[in-house]
Amino acid sequence: MSEFSAFRHITIGQYLPVGSFVHGLDPRAKIVMFTLLVATVAFANSYTASVLLLLALLGIVYLAHTPLRYALQGLRPALPWITFFAVLQLLFYRDQYGSEVCSVIWRGGFVTVTTCSLRQIGLMALRLLEFMILISLFTLTSTTTQLTHGLERLLHPLERFSFPAHELSLVFAIALRFAPTLAGELERIMKAQASRGADFGEQGRLRFIQRTRNMLPLMVPLFLSALRRAEDLTLAMEARGYTGGRGRTSFIQLRPVPSDYLALALVTIFCAAVALYNFRAIDGLVATAVGGYIKDVASLIVR
Amino acid sequence: MENRGTRTVVRKIVIAGVLGAIIALLGYLGTAGPGYIPVPTPAQHATTLHVPVIIGAILEGPIVGLVLGLLFGLSSWFQAGLLGVVMFQDPLVAILPRLFIGLTAWAAYAGFRKTGKYAAMALAGCLLVLCGAFVYWVLAVNVLLAVVFAIVLLALVAGFVFLALRENRELQALILSGAVGTLTNTILVLTMLVLRGYLPAEAALVAGLTNGIPETIVACIIVVAVVGAWKGIETRRAGSTV
Repeated sequence: MSEFSAFRHITIGQYLPVGSFVHGLDPRAKIVMFTLLVATVAFANSYTASVLLLLALLGIVYLAHTPLRYALQGLRPALPWITFFAVLQLLFYRDQYGSEVCSVIWRGGFVTVTTCSLRQIGLMALRLLEFMILISLFTLTSTTTQLTHGLERLLHPLERFSFPAHELSLVFAIALRFAPTLAGELERIMKAQASRGADFGEQGRLRFIQRTRNMLPLMVPLFLSALRRAEDLTLAMEARGYTGGRGRTSFIQLRPVPSDYLALALVTIFCAAVALYNFRAIDGLVATAVGGYIKDVASLIVR
Repeated sequence: MENRGTRTVVRKIVIAGVLGAIIALLGYLGTAGPGYIPVPTPAQHATTLHVPVIIGAILEGPIVGLVLGLLFGLSSWFQAGLLGVVMFQDPLVAILPRLFIGLTAWAAYAGFRKTGKYAAMALAGCLLVLCGAFVYWVLAVNVLLAVVFAIVLLALVAGFVFLALRENRELQALILSGAVGTLTNTILVLTMLVLRGYLPAEAALVAGLTNGIPETIVACIIVVAVVGAWKGIETRRAGSTV
């Protein structure tokens, strides 16, 4: 039955009301900081930058008093695919930007392992870790209500141009709210189908037609269940007198405090520094040192 | 439950949100879940995440399709950032083409239900001309590919004509919408990939064939099943819910 319980590892979207400094920050500031950090993590192209980011994130995790192990549980179902991609990159990566000098570490047949491919998987592993921590941090420290309000307030100035900021943020909020529910629903559907004789044991094996056919009895009930919930939610919203965003005021008023601006400034400066500083020199030193070590170890093993 | 004739904004928001939740969920589960179907190519997986976009566009209109396309693009972009797949980290490749899936799917659905047989035949004629031009271009890239494309495109246009000649517009509109939405995704994404230089034209064409065909078939099946069942469910309740 273990293949059915993968969905419980979804730690995204769970809020832990611990009451730390990070919990108390203005959600608008949190959204902006999250976006900046995501962008920096995505475009960090050097070991040192990634390590710096990781340390910073761990620092924030400490500030937020959230248990890290809980956050990393979400990685487990994705691990086989990550290792697969990592191996692919390791063996077949060819530098597309042409600006790096890749020294070949090992060549066998049509497989080449270069420093560039090593760097890619190193970066990929770090990046993945950082993304997981970042997303978990973000959702563990903010309720969906706060996020919705923050997003709506951020996008509100655009409403002058007929941009439906309120409606869009509501769409995001509903999506966020229903993702874990639908995950549980998907698990329930899998179990129901299995109890009626569907064979889901082919996970991971290359039975194309079988897997595709297995997917249909999952998708269709999932969609129908989602649409039914949508119907109920629409009815509930209309019954409670929801008439749209125009002239709508909120009980929760977001008021920024100096600590919000301070946190935002710190994060912005940090991200700018990490993004703009050229780590090439430090990276080169680290790479040659590590490369040297690996070569020594490899030659010891091969001999 | 009475038949809902009015399509209010609330309904659009909620359907967009719920289908967006499906996109986010399937995107998060990634290749381990039902969001992807395995294909025997280096890419290994064809996506089914465009199906919620198409369904949303059919049920609630082009704006919902646009929003869902945006969510699909964001999900794809995010996943690419996570896994380090450079090609889809480019928002012009991951997000921009996906915005059009909902629009074309809705246009196909709404338009086809209203067109008469002759308008559809005229449209088929135009499609044939377009396909001819495309095959002519592919000839310059690779002759074998051109032949394969000619066969496939001819089959597609023939299928379109076959659909147009039938009387039951609803079902055919669903099939067409599913196919059009999927093809929009495939064609536009591959075009962007080639334009931005991530893939050579030949590889893109092959990927279009090997990924596009399973994606189209699966999308049409799911769209017909879901929308058909949903529109049936709106007037009666029967059977199990899982």
